[in-house]
Formats: sequence, C-alpha cells, structure tokens
Amino acid sequence: MEDWRRIDIDAFDPDSGRLVPEDLAPPNLKSVNAGEIESKISQLRSAATSGDFATALQLVTNEPPYSADEVTKSRYFEAVLSALTQVRQAEIANLVKQLSPAQTDVLIKYLYKGMSVPEGQKQGGILLSWFEKVTQNTGVAPVVRYLSDRRTV
Amino acid sequence: MSQSLRPYLTAVRYSLQAALNLTNFSSQVVERHNRPEVEVPNTSAELLLQPMHVSRNEHEQVLIEPSVNSVRVSIKVKQADEIEQILVHKFTRFLEQRAESFYVLRRVPIEGFSISFLITNKHTESMNTEKLVDFIIEFMEEVDKEISEMKLFLNARARFVAEAYLGEFVY
Amino acid sequence: MLHLRPENLLVQKTLTEAWNANENGAPLSLDRVISDFDYTTLHVSNTPENKTVLWLSIKTKVWQSALKCGNGFLEHLESKYSNFPGITPTQQPEQGYDYTLQVDLAQLQPEAMVQLSLLKIHVMSFAFQLAFQEFSVLSQQTQDPSSFSGSNDTGVLRHLQYRDDESIYIKPSNDRVTVIFETFFQDETDKVFGKVFLQEFVDARKRNRSIQSAPQVLFSHEPPLETASVTSNRRTDKDRRFITFVLFPRHFQTPELQFSSVCHLALFRNYFHYHIKCSKAYMHSRMRYRVDSFIKVLNRAKVGETDESEQQTRRTITGRKMVY
Repeated sequence: MEDWRRIDIDAFDPDSGRLVPEDLAPPNLKSVNAGEIESKISQLRSAATSGDFATALQLVTNEPPYSADEVTKSRYFEAVLSALTQVRQAEIANLVKQLSPAQTDVLIKYLYKGMSVPEGQKQGGILLSWFEKVTQNTGVAPVVRYLSDRRTV
Repeated sequence: MSQSLRPYLTAVRYSLQAALNLTNFSSQVVERHNRPEVEVPNTSAELLLQPMHVSRNEHEQVLIEPSVNSVRVSIKVKQADEIEQILVHKFTRFLEQRAESFYVLRRVPIEGFSISFLITNKHTESMNTEKLVDFIIEFMEEVDKEISEMKLFLNARARFVAEAYLGEFVY
Repeated sequence: MLHLRPENLLVQKTLTEAWNANENGAPLSLDRVISDFDYTTLHVSNTPENKTVLWLSIKTKVWQSALKCGNGFLEHLESKYSNFPGITPTQQPEQGYDYTLQVDLAQLQPEAMVQLSLLKIHVMSFAFQLAFQEFSVLSQQTQDPSSFSGSNDTGVLRHLQYRDDESIYIKPSNDRVTVIFETFFQDETDKVFGKVFLQEFVDARKRNRSIQSAPQVLFSHEPPLETASVTSNRRTDKDRRFITFVLFPRHFQTPELQFSSVCHLALFRNYFHYHIKCSKAYMHSRMRYRVDSFIKVLNRAKVGETDESEQQTRRTITGRKMVY
C-alpha cells in the first residue's frame, strides 16, 4: 500500500469545502445536443472551404458548445482550428474588427486552447498573429476575462 | 527580431500582464500558512485560474498557470539538436543553482519545460510588475540568443582547433 | 596555448635544476614524482650511493602493449639515448616502474635533457617506428614487379593500449600508414562536444586549402575494417568512436618528419580533450556573465531603492531632514 500519510483525506470528505472545476461551472448553461454540433461543424467547414471566413468566424464565436463533453469539444475544435488557420494573414485584422467584445472573448479562448494542443502548436505562428491582432484591437481585457471565465471551450 | 518572434513575445507579455494580478491570500486549509496556491497539490479549484499556453511551435512554448496569489511561468526553450539540448540543460541548471539571487526562479522546472518561474504576491508587492514582465520577456529573448551564440562558438572553436592541429602536419 | 608540447616541462625543469646545482658543486637531493598524460608517472631521484647520479624512471599504461608490438623495444629506447654521454639504461628498472635510465649529471649535456623529457613519446614511438619500417619494406615490394604478388599487401596491425578503454591501432600498407584511435567518452557532454570537434577534424581538410596535404581524417562509430582482426569478436559499444588518420609517405619521409608526426599523434587525444574542457570553461564564464546581466535586469524591477535615495535628499528649507 502506498504511504498513508500522503492520502488526501479531504478529497473523501464531502464537508471539506474543497471545490473541483466542475463545481465552478456556471449553472444553467445552454445545453447542446450532438446533432446541433454536427450541423455546426459541417456549416463551419463549408464556410471555411468556400472562403467565407467572416461567416465562419461568426459561427465560431457565437454560442460555443460550453456544456458539451470533452470529446465533442475537441471534435468541434478541430473544425474551428482548421477554419482559423486557413485565413490569410492580411485578412485577420479586418475580421477581428468585426467582432463584438463577447465574440472576442470566445475567440481568445479558442486561441489559447489551440496553443495548448499539439495540432494547434504546429500552427503556432498563425494563432499568434490572430492573438496579436485581437490584442491590438482590444488590449489586455479579453485575456483577463479568459483567465476568470469558468466556461471552457 | 525575426518575424514570428515578435507576436510570440507580445502574446506572452499580454498573458503575463493579465496573470500578474495577485493578492495576499492565506491558506484555506492550514492556519497561519500562506503558500503559493499554484504549487499546492489538491488545492481548491476556485483559487486556480485558467492556464494559458502560448506556443510558437512544438518546441517553443510558455505555460502560464495563474492562481490567486501566485503565477507559475514555465518556458520551453528551443532545442533543435543534441548540442542545443546540452547547452540549454547546462544553462538552465546554472541559473537554477543561483535561484536565490533570482527571487522568482523556481529551482526545478515543471515536467516538460526547460525552466520555470514562480512569481508570488510578495514579488509583485516589492517589484514593479511591468518591469517583472520585461524581465521574463528579455530572458526569453536572451536565452535563445545565448544558446545559438554558444553553439556557434563551439563550432568555430572546433574548426579552429582542428585546422590548427592538422596544420602541424603540413610540411 | 593552442598546442600541447611533446616534452614534459616538469622533467626538463627538474633536470635543469639538478644540473645547475651540480655545476655549482652542491648536488640536490631529489625524489620527485611527475605525472604526464595517460596514466604516466615519471620518477626522478638520486641513486642511493651517489648524489650526482640520477635515476629517471617511467611507468606508463602503454608499456605492456608497446612490448608486445615487436622485438627490439628496449634497443629502440637505448638507441634514442646512446648518442648522449652520461645516460645509460639500468638493467633492472626501479621498483614499481617500467623502465629506468641512469643519468650522470657530470656528463649530461643540455640537449639531452629535452630528450629525457620526451621519454614517454619515445616509448609510444616504437610502434610507429616499426610501422614505418614495415611500410618501406612493403612499398619496395610493390615497386619491384618480380616479387609483387598483385594483391594489396598490408602489414601487421599494431595495437597500443594507452588508457584503460582507449587504444591506438597502427597499420602500414604499401602506400600509407593508417593510425586509428579508439576513443570512449565518459561524460555525456563530452560526447556531444566531441562529436562536434571530430566532425570538424574530418571537414577541416576539405575546407581549408592550405592544409590539403595534412593526413586524411575519418570518423566512425563502427570499427574500421583495418582493426577487424581485433575488434570483430568484441561486443560493440555504441559509445565508442573511431578516428582514423591516414598518413601518406610525405608525412614520414625523414626521421625528423617521423618524429614530429608521432609527437602530434601521440598527443592527439590530449589535445582534443584539452580543447573540449577549454570550451566548457569558456561557456561557464559566459553563463556567469549572463547570470549577472539577468540579475541586473531583475533588480531594475525592484521598487523602493530609488525612492529611498530620494527620501534621503528631502530636506526642509533650513536644511533639516524631513521626518515623517
């Protein structure tokens, strides 16, 4: 048996008052079903392939599937990442300007998520230029909101 | 500065600015303890904020883990080949052995990274936060530069030494 | 200090001291142990009966394998010193040493001291000498069509084990002499640095036209074919490196050239490791400097220091210090 002194007894105590990330998720998130996400993914892909990035970006930043499980999120994220990385460098600034503050917050979440997974790290350069354009536009505010927002993409 | 380095450093700068917003916070579990919450295992989730990854590519990354009273910044330095690996290892170890004069340097990097910093509310109270961010940014710039300079030096020296040795055989 | 000198300076210095003292009529009492590269120890001492006669003894790792290289090893060493009066080899080496020379200070000439300090090189040069001799025989055979069998005759592979894990192999053939160093890096860092250095040794000749006539250098992880007879039945170790020097006749045409080539080859490992250590030392001093500059940047972030000095200069109009 492992060293009993190292057992974290608080984890077994319901009254310890310790919170886990799930406790912090805000209540009454809008639940999404699998079908909706699938249709959103295909919409996103078709918008990206036809080069209509403004629509794609609107899709990405409006109502992200916060309440979905991790597997669905990562499937959805794949589509988001491919859309983001297809945009040409020169267009990024324009696209970012069209976003509302709330949408920018969502975009920042996707950028940080992208840089934390290997697929996104390969595209680090383009994600960083998105990031740069966003911060040029709005400053540090969306980053601070990302930090404290418990809703993850 | 190269094209892709600038956005990388800007992103790290913004992320740090956002994260370095610390307050004194006593432990919720142990009385009269005041510890950097990001380092406490099994700490309560509300004390930790969303971790931020900033990556230029797979080999150059920064991970910023903020919490209520401390921020852990881990840097992965580019290591393209064996020589750079050794140089980075030697250099970071050299720094870590002098961690007490660096205040914010963590003695051991966290898993998967070359070097880690731990900034607590004590540091932000006694130091100018903006300058502290400057330090991290300058550190990142300089480390890359230093490693590549050392590598160049090693090659130049090897070349010179080899030519000098073989030159002795020219009659 | 780019090159290492083949002479042992301490031996030279000791002998010069002893010789000067003897000239002044007051011979020194000596009992000095001097070390040299590759586990070599030299011992300079007075003979028990006479203070003006010295013993110079050598104990070296390479001795055993040099003995095995061929006949006439002791004669080879003797021949090196027979031209100098006052130096005679003793029949029985000193206890714990491989070879002892008796040096009579009264007859010793200054130039003989240099030769004495080269004792270790002379020990190692024996195997090279044999290879050079064999080379001349082989090349004669090739030139003489009557005895030339048509096959590319190669000579005997000679093996000098000069450190625990490291050896030199020397193999003459009819148009060249191949010298192979088998080396082993104990330190991980040395291994990587060594790789960089060795690669430069290989490339140096191709790059720099002025050293085109230097021996060709090859570098491999696998034992070269020349050493197959010795290394084939041994377990291959991935940390081993083989460095091959191909000496052409122009590198050993005259005895002087032979001597200088042997000196440099005998010191190859030491030279090479010495420069690895130098690079490490340089990097350390560089890192030290970097640490200082980083600390400077970090200290700039500190608040309070500049403010305090401002506070100290705050005074009232009458010159009294402000107190808060």
